[in-house]
Amino acid sequence: MSRASMLAARLLLLALALGLWEALPRLGWVDDEILPPFSAVFVTALQLLQRPAIHGDLVTTGLQLGAALIISVPTGVLLGILLAENKRLAQVCEPLLYFLFSVPKSIFLPLFILTLGISFWQKVAFGCFSTILIVLMSATAAVRSVREEHVLTARSYGATRAQITRHVYLPSMLPVLLEALRLAVIFSTTAVVLAEMYASRSGIGQQIASWGESFMMRQLFAGVLIVSVTAIVINEFIRWIENRCSHWRS
Amino acid sequence: MKQALSERAVTERPMIEVIGLGHTYESRGVASRALEDIALTVQAGRFTVIVGPSGCGKSSLLMMMAGLRRQTEGTILVDGRPMLDPDPDRVGVVFQDANLFPWLSAIDNVAFPLMLRGLGRSERLDRASAMLELVGLGHAGARYPSELSGGMKQRVSIARGLVQDPPVLLMDEPFAALDEQTRMTMGEELLRIWSQTSKTVVFVTHSLSEAVYLADEVLVMSAHPGRIIDRIEVELPRPRTYEMMATATFGQLRDRIWRQIRSPQPGNPA
Ligand SMILES: Nc1ncnc2c1ncn2[C@@H]1O[C@H](COP(=O)(O)OP(=O)(O)OP(=O)(O)O)[C@@H](O)[C@H]1O
Ligand SMILES: [Mg+2]
Repeated sequence: MSRASMLAARLLLLALALGLWEALPRLGWVDDEILPPFSAVFVTALQLLQRPAIHGDLVTTGLQLGAALIISVPTGVLLGILLAENKRLAQVCEPLLYFLFSVPKSIFLPLFILTLGISFWQKVAFGCFSTILIVLMSATAAVRSVREEHVLTARSYGATRAQITRHVYLPSMLPVLLEALRLAVIFSTTAVVLAEMYASRSGIGQQIASWGESFMMRQLFAGVLIVSVTAIVINEFIRWIENRCSHWRS
Repeated sequence: MKQALSERAVTERPMIEVIGLGHTYESRGVASRALEDIALTVQAGRFTVIVGPSGCGKSSLLMMMAGLRRQTEGTILVDGRPMLDPDPDRVGVVFQDANLFPWLSAIDNVAFPLMLRGLGRSERLDRASAMLELVGLGHAGARYPSELSGGMKQRVSIARGLVQDPPVLLMDEPFAALDEQTRMTMGEELLRIWSQTSKTVVFVTHSLSEAVYLADEVLVMSAHPGRIIDRIEVELPRPRTYEMMATATFGQLRDRIWRQIRSPQPGNPA
């Protein structure tokens, strides 16, 4: 299948899904109090996006997300590299990390509220907590993906340690690290929005929760639409960088 | 070509000297003797091939000549100076797997050693493309390793080994991963490049025909511990041709190496 026809087929599928969403309530097969038609939700979303209060919520959520990423990604990468470079330490820590990784992070949410209160930094901290392990483990995998022969080759051309880091380690690790960044965005968005829905005074998650509680279905779906589209756009953006950086991977 | 050979003989001067070299590996407290009592001299401009059973220490010896691994005993002199660390001015290395960096295009792979030395981009690319030209890949500079065949990758790797114009080229089974036809062509190519650049080459292989076809001198090693058990001067004229492989001399040389490898008789150096 050519690229153009593949794109056309995908758009067709999307159109079908949205058409079904539109048709179900319009034809009366589903109560439109429960599932408002897509067009109505879309219009509501556009209206919401013009409200200053919603801007404030989106900015709050965005800032919390940004802070969580700025803290957890570099920390996770550094810890991951440390672990990969240090066999003993890795042997000691790895089982514990795997256990921790398998525990659902949401059960710790009340603990964060008790210690940090319902606050901006509580969301950030919970976001970091939910994200850092996946970053750490990806970074470890990234270091281990560096091939010994490449290091040897660079050494045979007289590369210094710094040059090996910059010209062998970094490019080898880059694809895996970008993948880690993408996962980090997904994990911290989930965490921050969940924390907002659970207990918060602002943020888009809190809005969505309260629309749900008051049975405001149009707003609820519009909120879901806004968050989903934003998350997809960020995700695709990082994937686009990934593809540009790793066109050599085949 | 004949003239080139005799010229070489006139200007004879040792390029690589290995003196009393031995090596013991130690892993998890267990010591194992890998190389014992290795002594050899390679004259400048000569093509020396090392053959020997798997595990006899060929790669180890080459790594030491390249300054990538330190021997436990003995000295290695390249161009009169000890080889303690990798020195791209004296020695270029080509590994079994081309070991190209997949994130760099062919030309950037070749230019990699020059980049490490801080040469400007345009000079780097000029020299790298001249090297690609030499290995017959002038057209493929923009391609990435994943877009090259095994033989092409190995050529790029040879070009990278030559780009800093070191007097010595060490090659560890560079064609082992290639099919026989490609291997033959690559051997021819290598001899052509060698005759154009007057490098000293040390070449490790498992193929006896390849050894005789390429070499001025073949060193045969035995295992446990690795020693040099035979030195065979290959006095076939150059340029070597495919037809020579069918001659009696060629066959006798190959048989002699094979007998040594199968049932080593130490103390038989030529
Ligand atoms: N880093 C190492 N640590 C411990 N022992 C090693 C190491 N590298 C090689 N050896 C041992 O040294 C011996 C020689 O290995 P080497 O790789 O030099 O052999 P080789 O002749 O190149 O073999 P092959 O033909 O299979 O490539 C082997 O017995 C091997 O097990
Ligand atoms: Mg080997």
